[in-house]
Amino acid sequence: MNRQLAMVLDLNKCLGCQTCTVACKKLWNQDQGTDYAYWNNVETAPGKGFPRLWQETGGRNADGSVKRGEIPSLDADYGRAWKFNHDKTFFKSNGPREWLKPESGTQWGPNWDEDHGAGAYPQENHYFYLPRLCNHCTHPACLDACPRGAIEKRSDNGIVLVNQDQCHGYRFCVEACPYKKVYFDPKRQVSTKCIFCLPRIEEGVAPACARQCPGRLRFVGFLDDPAGPIHKLVNEYKVAIPLHPEFGTGPNVYYVPPLSPEGIDDEGRPTGKPRIPPAYLESLFGPAVHDAMARLAAEREKTTRGEGSAVMDLLIAYDWSKNFALDDARTREVI
Amino acid sequence: MKTTVTLIAPPTAMQPGGYIATAYADRSQPGTSRADLEVQESTAGWTVALRWRAPQAVIDATDNPRQFIDGAALFAPTVKDAPWISMGTPDMPLEGVLWRADRAQPWRVSAQGLGSVQRAEAPAGWTTAARYANGTWQLTFTLPAFAALTVTRQLGFAVWQGAQSERAGLKSVTPGWINL
Ligand code: SF4
Ligand code: SF4
Repeated sequence: MNRQLAMVLDLNKCLGCQTCTVACKKLWNQDQGTDYAYWNNVETAPGKGFPRLWQETGGRNADGSVKRGEIPSLDADYGRAWKFNHDKTFFKSNGPREWLKPESGTQWGPNWDEDHGAGAYPQENHYFYLPRLCNHCTHPACLDACPRGAIEKRSDNGIVLVNQDQCHGYRFCVEACPYKKVYFDPKRQVSTKCIFCLPRIEEGVAPACARQCPGRLRFVGFLDDPAGPIHKLVNEYKVAIPLHPEFGTGPNVYYVPPLSPEGIDDEGRPTGKPRIPPAYLESLFGPAVHDAMARLAAEREKTTRGEGSAVMDLLIAYDWSKNFALDDARTREVI
Repeated sequence: MKTTVTLIAPPTAMQPGGYIATAYADRSQPGTSRADLEVQESTAGWTVALRWRAPQAVIDATDNPRQFIDGAALFAPTVKDAPWISMGTPDMPLEGVLWRADRAQPWRVSAQGLGSVQRAEAPAGWTTAARYANGTWQLTFTLPAFAALTVTRQLGFAVWQGAQSERAGLKSVTPGWINL
């Protein structure tokens, strides 16, 4: 049985609230060795991302061929987990109190580029949020890099897992993943990565990042389930596309690309051109982004004309239960 | 027995998976070009001493995901002339001992081919004494019972310099078995 679970994220709806990031972190990554690590992070695009410059430091060239990747630096690329002066701010009984601030120097963090964006203000300034997690790739670069066979892709759901009993901490997976979604735990000397909330999946419950998302922009299900949201958005409506398909790993996390309002000229008149440059979106999602955007715009127009749109109804998530279609025998309603 | 061994870098082309062979295709030089070896056998068992130059020792990496730790391993074939560079086979496994600079105790290790090394707690009495001074590691293994070595009397060893990101198959090794 070769099935693939997948996720679709509608970038038109992400608030950048980081609820998904916190839901994931609280559930899976509170150890000292992974305090810097975010299996799920939400970064601001355009930007350098998390870890810094991840799009350039992975183990794949733009034509999908292998290159030597880099292991990001804890301080400069991931950003060390901040320690705050809580004692001096909240608990000091005498003398002047300090403002709340990190105690050590900070160089980077999980959304360091927050809201910077790009484009001249106010004519064409823009940004959007890009939530990222392991893509549970069809051809995982991490698996290909592990000399010990410690990384496994499950045949029943396609989830990619690190077997930490087999892992000897060599970190070729960290280098090789072009999405930089394997993290090394230096305290335990093993690699760690998103497990797509496998224990929840086994109970028919969607991953925490998806269930907790107040924007209701995450969809989870099997790619081959014609009744499920993933198959519809990816294969039928063709509005969801993978991030950096050119890396060649076959990502199974898909994005509905962000439409944007028109820019304005110096006189404040609309230019007719979207603020987020299509060329920038193409640099993220490949040429397929143009068709996906056109389909999306057409569906939106249909809705504006009052004709109704099954695509928009699904994306708006009027019926949230339709966001998730797991193993139906066991799907249940919990957070 | 006392000797100085010129070490080699095992070819990365043979590494399992598609990444290392390509990404490290340019790695042909070992991080450690030679090492001194001294082996003594007595009624108390084996004592094996290694000495190699390491301009920078890496003993601890608990705070740095980029840092690799210095290490060294001794191996002996359980069957004489088992493949060494490719780490034995299921029919001709290797047995050995692995030291890593951040650990007080060594591991007992076995291998049946590339990427197959299994680590286990070392038997009681297996100890290492490591000292780093003047840019040189001096490491002594005391191994009261090392059955494979006693049977085949062949020894190979590997050295990893963490400062050069050496780990796994990125290592410096003896070109073949050393016959004792
Ligand atoms: S995104 Fe990276 S870590 Fe996840 S399966 Fe793909 S290559 Fe592996
Ligand atoms: S929880 Fe949802 S809306 Fe909030 S940042 Fe994550 S994906 Fe975006």
